[in-house]
Amino acid sequence: MKAIFRINGQEKELSFDSRATLLTVLRENGCTEVKEGCNAGECGACLVLLDGKPVNSCQIFAASIGSKEITTINGIGDIHSPHPIQEAFVDTGAVQCGFCTPGMILAAYSLLEENPEPTDDEIKRALDGNICRCTGYVKIIDAIRLASKRMRENE
Amino acid sequence: MNGLQWFFPEKLDVVPELLKRDGIVPHAGGTFLIKTGMKKVKGLIDLANLPLDIFHDSNGFIEIGSTSTFSGIVEKMSSNNADSILVKSLGQAASTPLRNRITIGGSIASFPIWSDAMGPLIALDAEVSLIGAVEGFFSIVRYVTERELRKETLIKSVRFKSEKWDSYYFRATRTQFDYPAFNITVLCKRLDNVIKDIRIVIVGNRKKFVRITGLEEKLMNVKTDDADIPVIVRDIDIEFAAKKLGSADYIKQLAGIELERGINRILRSK
Repeated sequence: MKAIFRINGQEKELSFDSRATLLTVLRENGCTEVKEGCNAGECGACLVLLDGKPVNSCQIFAASIGSKEITTINGIGDIHSPHPIQEAFVDTGAVQCGFCTPGMILAAYSLLEENPEPTDDEIKRALDGNICRCTGYVKIIDAIRLASKRMRENE
Repeated sequence: MNGLQWFFPEKLDVVPELLKRDGIVPHAGGTFLIKTGMKKVKGLIDLANLPLDIFHDSNGFIEIGSTSTFSGIVEKMSSNNADSILVKSLGQAASTPLRNRITIGGSIASFPIWSDAMGPLIALDAEVSLIGAVEGFFSIVRYVTERELRKETLIKSVRFKSEKWDSYYFRATRTQFDYPAFNITVLCKRLDNVIKDIRIVIVGNRKKFVRITGLEEKLMNVKTDDADIPVIVRDIDIEFAAKKLGSADYIKQLAGIELERGINRILRSK
């Protein structure tokens, strides 16, 4: 089947299998920044924003997306123009293997959009669907705290 | 594996005809359908364009549309009654990204044994509004126990009385993200330290769910200071299967202890 997807502000007509998940369709069409992890909705590596809300793209049928806006990590910043959250992840050493980082940053982005000054508990709760096997989460929480501070100071 | 046929109705009145077709089922968030593999499913009726994402608190009832997500319900219920049992249970279910997709209608229709929605809804004496082969409001217990109500029907909404309850919710997990081996819902109303109404539901036992009416009867009209909870709870006999959390006997013991703690917590609260 075919459908028009709105990915990072651009409309693309894509062909896909009627049973395909959003994760598969994104990765097969160049969005390899969306990572395939557990494929069971448990690790958050495939997390994208759907109309601004974090979702596991491996748990959504691509056919059901309709006109919703899909945001991947490339939609909030890149190496030439990184988002403050991306910079904070680098500055605090919150990136090790990097596999979980796109999902982590998008979960943090969604949190800070709604709650610019979250407590540590609110940060941990917002990341409850993201697993990191390298860092032990301390640096990730530091990074989000730092990003929150910088974003508020630059407002 | 054959391709799926997708339908995107924009009006509810076309849904009953679609439901009559072989292998065609409703799709809301899709999380349960993806998890189960959908071997017999030939087509999906996407509910996203139908007016089912509603939340009404009027005429003494709260009515929640079937495509409302757990996150959406928690957000709306929190502004309405932050101590609501549904805020406690749905707010702990799965994870943030999954709560943004799991819908209340899908949870009722599929009723997975790890459901964080069903215990509270059963305790609240909720009713589901159906369209399709059978139409009208039906008790949620009837819906999950009578196959005829689930055949070729779509849950339009779920409603329950808008009442204040003291509540307790416990989910037995190894980690926060784990599927609960069982969960306990307790709702209680007290007047002058006397129990005037109490509802106790356990989900995840061998019978899938049980409302412990025998225990509820023993606790009715008991003065909260007088209630000897350990003795009363010791009498209940609920069977569990062995799960990743532990052996059947371990889970049974744990359920008894957590039930006792939960009832005590409610009765000793101000």
